[in-house]
Amino acid sequence: MRYQEFLKIFGVVLILGLLVSACATPAPPSPPEEAATPTPPEEAPTRAPAEENVAVYAMVTSYPDIDPSISFSDDSVVTSNAYETLVWYNPPGSAEMLSPGLATSWESNEDGTEWTFHLREGVKFHDGTDFNAEAVKYSIDRTMEMAMGASYIWDPVEEVEVVDDYTARFKLSYAAPVDLIAASGYGSWMMSPTCTEAHDSEWLNEGNDCGSGPYMIESRERGQRLVMTRFDDYWGGWQEGQFHKVVFDIVEEPTVRQQMIEAGDADVTYLLARENYEALDAREDVTVYTNPSFQNLIGLLNHEKPPLDDPLVRQAISYAFPYDDLVTNVMMGAAVQAHGPVPTEMWGSSEDLTQYDYDLDKARELLDQAGYPDGGFDLLMTHATGDLDEAQVGELWRAELAKLGINLEVRAMSWEPQWDLAMSDPMAAQDIFVMYWWPDYVSPYSFLFSMFHCEEEPFFNLGYVCDADVDEAMDRANELSGSDRAEAERLFIEAEQRLIDNADAVFFYDVMNEHVARSDIKGYADNPAYPHVVFFYNLSR
Amino acid sequence: MSKWVYLGRRLALAAMVLLSVSIITFFISRVVPSNPAAKWVGPRPTQEQIAQARIKLGLDKPLYVQYLRYMEDLLHGDFGTSVRTHQPIIEDLKVYLPATLELVMMGTVMALVIGIPLGVLSGAKKNSLLDHSSRLLAIAAVSVPVFWMALLLQLLFFGKLGILPLGGRVDTAISLYHPVRNITGFYLIDTLVTGNWPAFRNSLVHIILPAFCLGAFATGLTIRMTRSTMIEVLEEGYITAARAAGFPERTILFRLALKNAIIPTLTVVALSFVYAITGAILVEVIFSWPGLGRYVTEAILGVDFPVIMAVTLVVTVLYVFINLLMDLLQAFLDPRVRLE
Repeated sequence: MRYQEFLKIFGVVLILGLLVSACATPAPPSPPEEAATPTPPEEAPTRAPAEENVAVYAMVTSYPDIDPSISFSDDSVVTSNAYETLVWYNPPGSAEMLSPGLATSWESNEDGTEWTFHLREGVKFHDGTDFNAEAVKYSIDRTMEMAMGASYIWDPVEEVEVVDDYTARFKLSYAAPVDLIAASGYGSWMMSPTCTEAHDSEWLNEGNDCGSGPYMIESRERGQRLVMTRFDDYWGGWQEGQFHKVVFDIVEEPTVRQQMIEAGDADVTYLLARENYEALDAREDVTVYTNPSFQNLIGLLNHEKPPLDDPLVRQAISYAFPYDDLVTNVMMGAAVQAHGPVPTEMWGSSEDLTQYDYDLDKARELLDQAGYPDGGFDLLMTHATGDLDEAQVGELWRAELAKLGINLEVRAMSWEPQWDLAMSDPMAAQDIFVMYWWPDYVSPYSFLFSMFHCEEEPFFNLGYVCDADVDEAMDRANELSGSDRAEAERLFIEAEQRLIDNADAVFFYDVMNEHVARSDIKGYADNPAYPHVVFFYNLSR
Repeated sequence: MSKWVYLGRRLALAAMVLLSVSIITFFISRVVPSNPAAKWVGPRPTQEQIAQARIKLGLDKPLYVQYLRYMEDLLHGDFGTSVRTHQPIIEDLKVYLPATLELVMMGTVMALVIGIPLGVLSGAKKNSLLDHSSRLLAIAAVSVPVFWMALLLQLLFFGKLGILPLGGRVDTAISLYHPVRNITGFYLIDTLVTGNWPAFRNSLVHIILPAFCLGAFATGLTIRMTRSTMIEVLEEGYITAARAAGFPERTILFRLALKNAIIPTLTVVALSFVYAITGAILVEVIFSWPGLGRYVTEAILGVDFPVIMAVTLVVTVLYVFINLLMDLLQAFLDPRVRLE
């Protein structure tokens, strides 16, 4: 073929290729200057870069959706800085459980079916509109209408009434702790009605927000980086040393995150290789913060399929797990002893609750009583692929159960097939379903209802537990959670003790949070109610 | 004229391939156990939420209706919506595809620029020191796990020497003060076109290590293939004639011989190019590069079928396109080849 012919044909193919790709992109690429404060690339910013205080958070994974009505994942790290809730949940050890956010005070009626919130005055959203009761009603309505993410936490709400500009009343169809629900890090964000009316979810995800929080989303480079900048009119005001900009970098490889924090390219991160934390903490320029989280690891036991349908056998295998060994030797500070289904730092749990300990003799005794003196049966345990901690739990347990003559098969599966298997016929499902749980809003009900309340169709109660007494106690406790928290706590603990007595699940451990930050950052304290969220407004350098 | 017939036929075949791939992938995605409605809602879906989502996503319609709706959207350039992020996939592709193409192209260019001359000289000076060292280099480039090499190079050039960045496409400072305007998605082109010199320099510096790691395999391939075909070609009669006629050695090697030796090499490099489009996942993770490999791997692990389908189709198009290009190139370079 001659050169000219080749060029002709190549040219045609190229043009066709361009035409096809032009068809595939009907809308012109949206200009990045849709943010609240557009910065033309050629002009210098109003503050000289040297004067600006920038913080970098090296994130572990990409976050799916930063629409505040939908976000129910790691996106809360971003939304918690751009949006605010009516109420905030305080870290354990604080004097009060809750503190005012966009609401300055709140009260409920006697039976907890009507909640009135008195709102903070003088708060502006990033688009300049005022925050008022209309915005509260609008935000909750929008979240409920979209019916995604954590919107179900508002199920008890029948109507949000605008009493006056700064008073909003929640009318419920049944009693529920609205103060706790409004403090959730998912689905309780307040948004500007004008802003969300004018734009859709796609616009928000391109790198914008409709919030009132201390930082505004300036830009988002998909898969890479999200930049937030200070909201100058934030109602809390600004002081010397606080950050002007916050950058969220997606860095999936732990060794890279570690190099970033060591070099000072990142200011905060987490989930590094566990064996490195000691060396990191020893460094002057880096500090490791360890504290209990509201997350735990639980093994749900199949109540329908023998032999685990027998409480004696369930108790026996509960005595066969090496809790201390795991916490002390294997997890290296990343776990603590669990006391039942609710993490011990959360309200509604208690360190007085009994917990099984590692006692093979007791296990043998119980097996004997149940009619399996030498074990002689198989159990299937499933857990999440790629989770090394869960795999280790399986290995440790298998070694111990083997001493009792029980053969434990530890199978790693992706979430979908694992869930599918458990939701199918209980007689064909796994015996032990291992998973983490953490609260959608901070209440023991989140743990107890989801995993242990009797269900017609199995959903997350993947041990198929059906105990009327436990259900009654937890339901009653939930109703009282708002109006009589002390009584609610008593009832929750009663339900939890019952679950422990019946060995309805194996409570492996409570997870510890380990965050790493540069030592020159002041004011950092982890709040387990908002997993891995760093409230940059509280920090300074 | 027959060449246009050939082209027309090839394009028609390409369309058929695409159609078959779309049908197969679509039906696989509907048959494999997964719960897209539950995924769409979030990590803790309730039954009511799932029921609502099913209707919204059109999952209650019969399978063929869903397929036709999907193809109709596709013809309008709508690749569907990610079940995980609820965002139009086309927006993600507009970022991830150019990012990957830029990386893979740089890697391939590096591979050709290093590999071809080395391969030619190796073949010409068989069994010399140069030959032995380049063969060793080729084996190392192909055998060394790319993951390990990437971490090692990162440690060396960032950790110890501090002359190259750790990862990403641009520094934080560039994103803040000299942001890249997204025109084509190729940072090197976009920054040049808008005259954004700080960002251009920064993008160049950021692409060096990942492109090198990605191109290593292709470099090894290129060296070996070029060398072996060169050795064959240099035995041909016309080469001896050219030498006798007094042509300079450089012309003989790089014009007369290379033209015939290069075809198998280019074919193999083209295949490794297409493979790297999604196979670059390890390099992308280590260098925090927002590429298609990472994107589709996340989708596979999260069973996000619309994304898996979209990426499959995109890669199929690229594969078909590159194949066609290679055939045309071959016909151009080798007059014996007839397009049929």
